[in-house]
Amino acid sequence: MTQLAAWIRTPVAQSLGWTLVHFVWEGAVLAAALWAMLRLFRAAPARRRYALACLTLAAMPAAFAITLAAIWALRPGVVAVPVHWAAAPLADAPIAAPAARFRWAMILDRLPWAVPVWAAGVAFFYARGLAGWVAVRRLRYRGVCAPAHEWQARLGQLCIRLGIARPVALLESCFTDAPVLIGYWRPVILLPLGCLTGLSAAQVECILLHELAHVMRHDYIVNLLQSLVEGLLFYHPAVWWVSRVVRAERENCCDDRVVEVIGDRRAYAATLALLEERRAPTAALAATGGNLMRRIRRLTMESRGAQTSRAPAASAAVLLAIFAAALTALPAKLPQVRHAHTRAPGPVAMAVAAATPAPQQAAAPLPTPYKKWLREDVAYIITDEERTAFLALSSDAERENFIDQFWQRRDPTPGTPENEFRDEHYRRIAYANEHFTGSVAGWKTDRGRTYIVYGPPDELDDHASGGAASTYPYQQWRYRYIEGVGTNIIVEFVDRDGTGDYQMTSDPSEKEKASTSYRKWLNEDAAYIITDEERAAFLKLASDEEREQFIGQFWQRRGEPFRAEHYRRIAYANEHYTAGIPGWKTDRGRIYVIYGPPDGIVDSSDSKSIFWIYLSIGGAGNTSAFIFEDSDGKGEFRLTHDPGEPGRKAPH
Amino acid sequence: MSQAKQLPRPTDAELEILTVLWSLGPSTVRDVHETIARRKPTQYTTVLKTLQIMAEKGLVERDEKQRAHIYSAARPREWTQQQLAGDLLQRAFGGSAASLMLGALAAHRASPAELAELRKFLEEYEKGKS
Repeated sequence: MTQLAAWIRTPVAQSLGWTLVHFVWEGAVLAAALWAMLRLFRAAPARRRYALACLTLAAMPAAFAITLAAIWALRPGVVAVPVHWAAAPLADAPIAAPAARFRWAMILDRLPWAVPVWAAGVAFFYARGLAGWVAVRRLRYRGVCAPAHEWQARLGQLCIRLGIARPVALLESCFTDAPVLIGYWRPVILLPLGCLTGLSAAQVECILLHELAHVMRHDYIVNLLQSLVEGLLFYHPAVWWVSRVVRAERENCCDDRVVEVIGDRRAYAATLALLEERRAPTAALAATGGNLMRRIRRLTMESRGAQTSRAPAASAAVLLAIFAAALTALPAKLPQVRHAHTRAPGPVAMAVAAATPAPQQAAAPLPTPYKKWLREDVAYIITDEERTAFLALSSDAERENFIDQFWQRRDPTPGTPENEFRDEHYRRIAYANEHFTGSVAGWKTDRGRTYIVYGPPDELDDHASGGAASTYPYQQWRYRYIEGVGTNIIVEFVDRDGTGDYQMTSDPSEKEKASTSYRKWLNEDAAYIITDEERAAFLKLASDEEREQFIGQFWQRRGEPFRAEHYRRIAYANEHYTAGIPGWKTDRGRIYVIYGPPDGIVDSSDSKSIFWIYLSIGGAGNTSAFIFEDSDGKGEFRLTHDPGEPGRKAPH
Repeated sequence: MSQAKQLPRPTDAELEILTVLWSLGPSTVRDVHETIARRKPTQYTTVLKTLQIMAEKGLVERDEKQRAHIYSAARPREWTQQQLAGDLLQRAFGGSAASLMLGALAAHRASPAELAELRKFLEEYEKGKS
C-alpha cells in the first residue's frame, strides 16, 4: 500500500490522473456532438452515420492521448530541475493561506488515487476481453459440425458475388443460437444447429449475406479495436453509449447491404423475425448488435427520406471543429487545475537578482526544525504553492506528513525504501557547505545554490589566479544539459574581491550570457586601450555576431603582437599587483597595461613611494615619471603623480 | 431425472459427435464419420470407438434393430448447452465473447411484447406475399 501511495505521486501517475479527469468533459463533449449530429442527420445512410460514430469513438482515445501528452509535457521536473530556483522571500508568501485554496489542494492530493482504481478497471476489462477472445476462438473447434457441401458451395458463390477474396468457412455450432461471424483472417460463420434445415434456402442466403457483409466491411477488426477503447475508457458512460451506437449502425449497414443484394427488404425483415422466434429460451452465445425491433422497423419503413450526401461532410466538419476547440481550450484550463507543484521552472536569472537566500525573518511562528527544513533544506526546490501549503499547516503531524509527501513526489523510484532524490539533495547540501563556505554558509553561496539545484557540473574550469582574459579568479561550470533550461550551459563564478566568495556572473538560462562576456571584454580586457569612439560603436552593436566581428577587427587594427603583449601585461599586472583588488585594476596595473614595463623603477628608501620612468611615451626622448605611493602600508600603491597622459590610448 | 444429472460432461471429441447427431438426427457411424471428415481428417474406427464409449456413458442411444447401428443423442441440444454453461470460461466471459462476435441478431433476446410484434409482422408479411 505504501508502494502504491508512493507511486501515485510520480509524474506518470499524476499526469494520468489529470488526463482521467479531463477526459470526463472531453468524452461528454464528443458524445454530445455525436448525439446532436445523429439527430440532425437522421435520414443519412447508415454507413455515414456509422462512420460518424466510429470517428467519435476514435476521437476519444485520441483526446485521451493528446491530453496525456499535454499534461506530461507540463509535468513538474523530478530531478535536478530548478522548480523553485530563486528561493522566494518568505515575506511574499501568504502566511495564512486561504482555507479554500488549501482544501482544493487537499482534494488534489487525493485525486491521484483514481489512477490505480482506473488501472485496475482497465486490467479487468482487458483480462475479460482476452478471456472472451479465447472463448470465441474455441467456438471454431468445439461443438461444431460442417454442413453439407452444397451450403459451403453456396457460400462460395455469395463470396464471389460480393468480391470477398478471403476463404470464409461455414459451420454449425451447438453453442450459438443466432448466426455469428468470428475471426478476421480466417472468418467463420457459425450457424445455430437446425438453422440450415429449418429455414428456406433464400432465408439462409439472407443470413449468410449479412455475415458476409461484416467480412467485407472488416467489422471484426473494428469491433476488436472498439473493445480496446471500451476497456481503456470504461469509466465514462459516453464511451459505452458511442460504442453502442457504432454497433447498432454497423448492423444497419449490413442490413442495407443485404437489401441491396436481394432487393426485398420485407423478406429480409421477415427472416430476421423468424430467426428471433426460433431462438431457444436458454442462455446461449450470440453477437451484440443493436435492437432487432428497431432494425426491422427501419428495414420495413417504405418511405425513407432522401439521403442527403452533404450531411456527413458537414457533420464531420462540425465534429472536427468541436474537437479542435476542446483541444485548444485544454492548455488554458490546465494551469488552473494542475497540481500544486507543476510550476514551470523559474528563470534561473532570478538567482542573480536574489543572490541571498530567503530572509531569515519569519512572520509565522514555525517550530524551529520545520523552519530550518523550509528555509534551508528545501529552500531552492520547494514551489510557492508547496511553501504556502506548508505554512498553512497547523500541527507537527501534518508537517511531518507533508515533508514525507514532498520527498515522495520527487522520488524517482517510488516504492523502494530509498529516496534517491532526497539522498542526493542532502549530499549536495553537505558538499556545498564543505566546499563553498566562506563568509557565508556554503549552501547560501551562488556556487552552493547552483550545485544544490543542478548538481555537480559536467566540466569545471578553475582559474584560481585569473585567466589571460580576466584578472579575477574565476570558475566556469559547464553543464551539458539542464532540464528546462537547455544544453551546454556555462555558469561563471567570479571572485571579485579575492575573498573566495565566488559570485555568479553569467546565468545558465540567460540568453544574454554571451553579452555578459562581451561586457567583460569591454570593461576589463580592453578597458584601457579602447577609444571613446570604439566604445560607443561597440555599445551600439545589437548581436553577438557583430560584437565578435568588432572584437576581431579591433585586434586586427592593432595587430596580433599587440594583442598578445596586451594580454601578457594584464596577466603580469594580475600576478604582481593584486592586493585586495585584482592587479589589472590597480594604478600600477593600469599604467603597466597601458605603457608596458617602465624603463626604470626607483624605490624610495622607506618603500612607500615608487617612481616609474618611461623614456619614450608620446615620442622618443620624452621622459615621463609616474609616482605611486603606499600611504597606508597595505601595499596598495596609488598614483599620486601623473605626468599627463600624452600617450594614453595610443598604441603601446 | 437423477440419471440426467449423472450423465458425464462430454469431452470435446464427444461433443463434436453429439453436434453432428443433433444436426443430422439419428445417424449411422458412417454418416457421422462423413460429416466430421468434412472438417478434419478422421479415422472411421476412431468415430466408431468414441460412439461406443458414449453409448456406455449414456450420452448416445444405440438402435441395434438394423444391420447398421443407428446412433442418436440421448439428450436434446439444449440440455448440453445448459450442462456446458457450467463451463467457467463460457459463463464468466460469455458477455465479453458476445461483444467480440458479429451477428444478425442481438445478444439480448426479444421481450415477449417484441416477439408478439414480430409474429404480427410475420403474419402480415405472409398475407402480403400470398
